Amino acid sequence: MTALPSLELTHFQTFLLFAVVISIAFGFLGRRRPKDRVKYIVWSLLLFLLVGIGIGWAMFPFSR
Amino acid sequence: MDEQSQFSSGGGPEAAATAADEKTPAESRAMIFGVAGWLLPGLGHALQLMWGRALIVFLAVGLLAGAGTSMKGNVFTRDGNDAFDKLGFIADLGTGSFYLLARALEKDGADVSHADGDYGTRLLATAGVLNLLAALHAYEAARGRKA
Repeated sequence: MTALPSLELTHFQTFLLFAVVISIAFGFLGRRRPKDRVKYIVWSLLLFLLVGIGIGWAMFPFSR
Repeated sequence: MDEQSQFSSGGGPEAAATAADEKTPAESRAMIFGVAGWLLPGLGHALQLMWGRALIVFLAVGLLAGAGTSMKGNVFTRDGNDAFDKLGFIADLGTGSFYLLARALEKDGADVSHADGDYGTRLLATAGVLNLLAALHAYEAARGRKA
C-alpha cells in the first residue's frame, strides 16, 4: 500500500485542525436543526480557540 | 420493578415477559448499529438513514486519523510497555477499520523524535475517541434517545 505524503503542521495549525473538526462533529452529533448546528459549531470553535490560546498565555511565564 | 408495581401497572408477569421479548430485538439492533459505527466510522448512523451525521463522522474521523498518520504519529499496538501505551492502543483502536489502515500506511513506523510526530499521535487518539463517541451516539439513537 502506498504511504501517505508527509504532513508538517505547526502546533497552532494542529490545534486549529483539531478545533475545527471536533466542533463540526459535535455540532452535527449534538444538534438536529441546521441553525442550531451552525450556532453550536461557531460557539464551540470560539471557546476552543479562547481556552487554548488562554492556556498557552497562562503557561508563558513558566516557559523559560 | 418489584412484583407489586408490575401488577399495579395493569400488566402481570405475562405482560412483563412480552415487553421484555419485544425489547430484546430493538436492543440487539441498537447494539449492531453501535458496533457497525465503531468498525466503519459513520456506518451506525448511515444504517439509520442519518446521512449528514454519517458523512460528517466518516470525514472527521478519517481526516484526523489521516493527518495523524501523515504526521508519523505513533499507532500503538497491544504490546505496550506501560499503561499509557495501553491507553493509547485503546484510543487508536477506537477508529475501527481506520486503525488497520493507519498501520498499513505507516510502513516506516512512527517518528516521534520531532514535534510533528507527537501531534500526530494525539490526532490519532482523538480520532479514536471521537469515533467511540459517535458509535455510542448511534447506539443511543437506535434505542430511541433523541439527540
